[in-house]
Amino acid sequence: MTEADAPTVSLTTQPELVKVPLVQNDRSLSWISDNVSSIVESRTPLWWWLAMLITTPVALFGLFCIGLQISNGVGMWGENKTVGWAWDITNFVFWIGIGHAGTLISAVLFLTRQKWRTSINRASEAMTLFAVVCAGIFPGIHVGRVWMAWFLAPVPNGNAIWPNFRSPLLWDVFAVSTYFTVSVLFWYTGLVPDLATLRDRAKNRVSRYLYGIFALGWRGSNRQWRHYEMAYLILAGISTPLVLSVHSVVSFDFATSILPGWHTTIFPPYFVAGAIFGGFAMVLTILLPARLLYPQLDDLLTRQHVDKMAKIILLTGSIVGYAYLMELFIAWYSANKFEMFTFFHARIGINNSGWYSWAYYCMMTCNVLSPQIFWLKWARSNYIVVFIVCMFVNTGMWFERFVIIVTSLAQDFLPSSWRHYSPSWVEIWTFVGTFGIFLTLFLLFMRFLPMIAMSEVKIVTPEADPHQRKPGSGVGTNAHHS
Amino acid sequence: MSKRVFNHPPEAATGKKYWRSLGQLSGTPEFRGWLEREFPQGASEFGGGEVSRRNFLQLMGASMALAGLSFAGCRRPEMQLVPFTRGVEWSIPGKALFFSSAYPTRNGAIPLVVTTHDGRPTKIEGNPLHPASKGATDIFAQASILDFYDPDRSQHFLKNGKKSDVATFEKELDELIKNAADGAGIAFLLEEIHGPTRERLRGEIEEKFPKAMWAVYEPLGGPEGSFGAGISAIPQMGKADVIMALDCDFLGTESTIDITRQFTARRKPDAGGKMNRLYAVENRYTVTGGMADHRLRMPASQIGAFALALAQEIGAKSSDSALLALVKTLPPATAKISAEWVKESAADLLANKGKSLVVVGSRQPAGVHAIVASINSALGNLDKTLTGRRGAKPAASIGELTKSIGDGTTRAIIIIGGNPIYNAPSDLEFAKVLKTLRDEKKGTIVRVGLHEDETSELATWQVPIATYLESWGDAYATDGSHLSIQPMILPLYDGWSELDILAKFAGHAKTTGPELIQETFRQAASPADFTVAWAKFLHDGFLAHSAAKPEPLAISADSTTSAKDNFSAPALDENSFEIVLTADYTVDDGRFANNGWLQEIPDPITKVTWDNAALISPASAAKLGVETGDVIDITVQERSLKIPVFIAPGHADNSLSIALGYGREVSGRVGGKDATGKSPGFNAYRLRSTAQPYFIVGAKVAKTGDTYLLAVTQEHGTLEGRGPDLVREGTIEQYKENPEFAKTLGMDAEAEWKVVNGKKTEVVTSSLYSHPPLTNQHQWGMTVDLSSCTGCSACMVACQSENNIPIVGKEQVHNGREMHWIRTDRYFAGVGDETADPEMVYQPMLCQHCENAPCETVCPVNATVHSDDGLNVMAYNRCIGTRYCANNCPFKVRRFNFFDYNQRNIEDRGLYKWNLTAPKGTEDSIKLQKNPNVTVRMRGVMEKCTFCVQRIQEAKIAAKVAARDSDNIRIPADAFTVACAQACPTDAITFGDIANPDSSVSKVRATERGYRLLEYLNVGTRVWYLARIRNPNMKMPGAEKVGAYSREHHHESHEGKAEHPGGEA
Repeated sequence: MTEADAPTVSLTTQPELVKVPLVQNDRSLSWISDNVSSIVESRTPLWWWLAMLITTPVALFGLFCIGLQISNGVGMWGENKTVGWAWDITNFVFWIGIGHAGTLISAVLFLTRQKWRTSINRASEAMTLFAVVCAGIFPGIHVGRVWMAWFLAPVPNGNAIWPNFRSPLLWDVFAVSTYFTVSVLFWYTGLVPDLATLRDRAKNRVSRYLYGIFALGWRGSNRQWRHYEMAYLILAGISTPLVLSVHSVVSFDFATSILPGWHTTIFPPYFVAGAIFGGFAMVLTILLPARLLYPQLDDLLTRQHVDKMAKIILLTGSIVGYAYLMELFIAWYSANKFEMFTFFHARIGINNSGWYSWAYYCMMTCNVLSPQIFWLKWARSNYIVVFIVCMFVNTGMWFERFVIIVTSLAQDFLPSSWRHYSPSWVEIWTFVGTFGIFLTLFLLFMRFLPMIAMSEVKIVTPEADPHQRKPGSGVGTNAHHS
Repeated sequence: MSKRVFNHPPEAATGKKYWRSLGQLSGTPEFRGWLEREFPQGASEFGGGEVSRRNFLQLMGASMALAGLSFAGCRRPEMQLVPFTRGVEWSIPGKALFFSSAYPTRNGAIPLVVTTHDGRPTKIEGNPLHPASKGATDIFAQASILDFYDPDRSQHFLKNGKKSDVATFEKELDELIKNAADGAGIAFLLEEIHGPTRERLRGEIEEKFPKAMWAVYEPLGGPEGSFGAGISAIPQMGKADVIMALDCDFLGTESTIDITRQFTARRKPDAGGKMNRLYAVENRYTVTGGMADHRLRMPASQIGAFALALAQEIGAKSSDSALLALVKTLPPATAKISAEWVKESAADLLANKGKSLVVVGSRQPAGVHAIVASINSALGNLDKTLTGRRGAKPAASIGELTKSIGDGTTRAIIIIGGNPIYNAPSDLEFAKVLKTLRDEKKGTIVRVGLHEDETSELATWQVPIATYLESWGDAYATDGSHLSIQPMILPLYDGWSELDILAKFAGHAKTTGPELIQETFRQAASPADFTVAWAKFLHDGFLAHSAAKPEPLAISADSTTSAKDNFSAPALDENSFEIVLTADYTVDDGRFANNGWLQEIPDPITKVTWDNAALISPASAAKLGVETGDVIDITVQERSLKIPVFIAPGHADNSLSIALGYGREVSGRVGGKDATGKSPGFNAYRLRSTAQPYFIVGAKVAKTGDTYLLAVTQEHGTLEGRGPDLVREGTIEQYKENPEFAKTLGMDAEAEWKVVNGKKTEVVTSSLYSHPPLTNQHQWGMTVDLSSCTGCSACMVACQSENNIPIVGKEQVHNGREMHWIRTDRYFAGVGDETADPEMVYQPMLCQHCENAPCETVCPVNATVHSDDGLNVMAYNRCIGTRYCANNCPFKVRRFNFFDYNQRNIEDRGLYKWNLTAPKGTEDSIKLQKNPNVTVRMRGVMEKCTFCVQRIQEAKIAAKVAARDSDNIRIPADAFTVACAQACPTDAITFGDIANPDSSVSKVRATERGYRLLEYLNVGTRVWYLARIRNPNMKMPGAEKVGAYSREHHHESHEGKAEHPGGEA
């Protein structure tokens, strides 16, 4: 994939208007099937085993820390009477935010006919699911009596006690569980044709049998495709509002409270933008190394994809930056000394009065400044720069939640109850453990399922165009209406 | 009919351990038999049909056993129930019984009413009938219940450290008494707690053994008074309009409830009468200094110089010849003292002749006391604001006792209470002397004490003492009246009380009943009908009209000579420090070191728990280059001490204050050494000598480079410019000019008020959400008067005791997880960067029971909800512990059980043990203290102030019972109150029904200076704070700054991290 491979351009078309094909080098449909399936079908590479050797113990140690915390008490973490939430909810919001990109790519970009989504949607949806799994751990285990967490469910009981429907935490339970369910369905529905492909290509009975079961008898008939496309469209339609609602609801945890720094009406859009921002960064964090490990994917995951995702990161990062500044403005405009203290002292650290100002600056640098380099095209096309910026964004988005939660709590209304907070090792390792879980699940996914949605990629190739434009003509590639 | 025998499970019942703790009593075959008969024949227990108190108590003990079988395992009752078919006198299972009693202290006993549940005392309250209490108690009386149940109490008769028994002890004691002849060689060492029976027995002993030595030692005692031997001067705070306290913490470590109440009653500007004015001169902030209208910080060793300057000024202005003559004989002081301060305060005192009062702390030497006595005389205060009282017969000092042991005069010593090995002046080398007596001279040391401590280790006999809750006794109250002490329970460990030992020496057999006390009572009251009078004495808790008659005061000639001999106030060398040794606000002289409640109650000034520290001024700390937590090495002559410093705003420069009572060598698991060999705090007694008991000049101080972790409950001590919002304060002039000034400060300045009859009643608010109406006829509310709150923290212990609040240990306090439902927030309030001389203000903080509670809306499981009588209630068994409520609480009053504090050992990292394998459970005797009407919370649930909902329910039931068939089930106004309000010696807290216009709380709430916290949030709190009013003398230097923090209108805080008195330790 070099500049020399660029398609021939008709004399009347301006170069910048030329549509770059989504699959490069005029790859055929069977090439796509072969190359994507080969990842699953080939021998397990050594690096995979090495990676699993790291991620699995980390995941298990994280689970051990969770066990320690559940059996001894929340005191194993660093929270105190003033800072009641810290890394637990920071991690929850962090992971749930990451879990936004996948569904956004699959659903919103699907509905808006962004065809470039096809080669990244599978992996990012998987990433979404695994991130939501990691996110779901924290609200589950952060409570004092885990074994009573079922009180959150609206189960009719003899005492006629229902959950409190006014509590945003309850909304969270519904929002996250709905999101997870729909995301799983959406992802699985998309997987069905590809599972059938793997079944058909399978060389041993076990895998043929297993892929066969999960392919749900897919034969690729016209009728099946019609149903499939309808189901996919409906699920995309359901998912799209969920993408916006989940993080809005998560933001209500803070926005509906009365704590300065939490009690902010800008939170829902700001959280959604932040989630997309962080989610795309995590997609790139995962896909760029994957692409390095599987060079055969170069023609599918092109510079164009990276470029577009970098632009989204730039856009959402700037929205987030705007929100940060707007928070400061509103705090000043409110003329409320408690609000002003939270933003100008606790966060910005005027007069050295902010205990966690360093976290605020860390957040600002990573989230607002670092993506601005994407205004430059060379930066968007330099994978190393993109990867570094994504790492910054991942860090920054974690710090954003930390800043919101911990700085607001630690220095709140009554100075008498102000309290420093620092994490315990159990808390730190629980978070590290979720990375272990996330990466382990992703490695398993890479090994056993097609990382790229073959059937969908095929749909956006010129061959799939019923008008049979010449492949690489540069005109018809995106003209297909499905 | 065959008798059914109940088969008690031998081991498995959850009540098992409980059962065992009753040990001797329940283990007796007689008792077992009694229990196992289905219908125990009570008559046989009562031995002859007459119900003696002894038998009654035995049955009370039995009922305690039943409690063990019925209350211990609330979750899964796996025990046999024994019907309470034969009741104990007055006892109704599940209903509390109240007994009047008294808690003896060195300043006079506190009259009490003790709550018992099924035969076990559970809660201490003041006796509302007695003027020395009026229902209030101090922090120590509240906590004494835990000392009583302390599992580390001395439980066995030990001879030379080995377990022996009571019979052997009694035999040897009898022998000792038999061989005593005229008493030569026998010495008693007692604590300064005086009671009529003790005095009577002392008289009998002195008659029988005229040569026996009677010594009294209190480590925190003061010098001989200036009004002759045996006469002490009692301040009449209520009568004084202008008070000057010279190094005198009369509201704190030197307080009595009486004095505190008299003083604070005059701090309520709307109570009628003239508000008093307090000048305080002290080296460090005390709670008294916090209450002062004008405070001058100066080293303790120079207070004498101040007294002299004041004497000069008052002598000159009043031309009092005696005072002028005294001043002339004294060497002039060289210390620099603000002349203006002396001049104006003296003028104020002189303007209030006969209504002023100068008090001086027991810390100061006799010379300063003599000067102050003369000043009071010159001000015409004697027999007016200062009255005399004849005290107990003088006794020998510990110095004289040591000498008599050293020279071989004393061969047998009976030490009752106290802990002289730990707290005797270090130059006496008391431990060495006693050791020689025991080992070389083969003398006898009998020690009757609460714990096996430093002194027990040297004793021939260690005898468990029976405390005031388990033995008969009597005592003098602070006003000298005759109080009764009656036991609620048999001695837990068969201990002997002080009177038991003394009675033996006086030749009486050891009594089990009240015979001794009755005899004293007969002599004191000589009643016409003894039975009736005695019953009334026990019922009321005191003998009416028995308060001591005042003795006329006259300055003794000795006092003036003593002033000449004892006065010196050298100027401090800039490079050395004075060391000031103080009583501790929470462990006193160290006697409460093993009391977990008191160890965990933060020091009112520093908010440090579980430790003491060397308090140092910010300037001196900067000069020394130390931060809070840095360990310094103090050297005084040949003695030295390593101790961490704590930077204390308002402290005098070149002065270090160290609280005594810490660093115990031998104590229980709470106050003693842990696995690492470290006990809480540092032993400052080591620096102490007979000549310099309280302050030592010329100490060398060096930084060691080590640091030490201090667990503070309040990290941040400044108001960050929020004074106008949180702690509202004004001067009396400001208040008179605009009584409603407090309603429109800070964020409330813009609020719109509903005005009824020209009074601002409430802020006009609007809400999107309409809450269910609060329809109950009772609506509970509270007021907290910041003007009279001294910050003493008695409310905290009262709450802890009432509500089964666990302690969490030093490490968890450091992690910010203490459980107190009510706390006293302490702010150092200054304008700008005044860290040297800030004001100190207190604000008790508890659940505000918001009508529009932010915690309730966010709880996902409806575990915290609102009751129709206006309580924010917690359903512990519904709570799953999301902590969202705590996060959303603007007052941060919710407390989370981060660990299973009631099931786990808080020491030795017991909280961190893998819970599935570690043994569970708590000490049995601790369980006995628990209030059965309050759930003991498990880990993972949130808890907070309930407004003592159990007391509300009890009152409701009582009202319903009283109502019978009528519909009037309304609880009468002020029929009961909550634990904190009840304990408060300053009446700062008032609780009651705000829907009832007759209730006190309704009336207090209506006062103009009431305000609610964070009104702008529209949370609708049910706690009203009354603005702090102070009475500055506008002619005094710095008068314009009084309360300025609360008036300033700056939006931006300029108090940076420099002001961080809590310190990040």
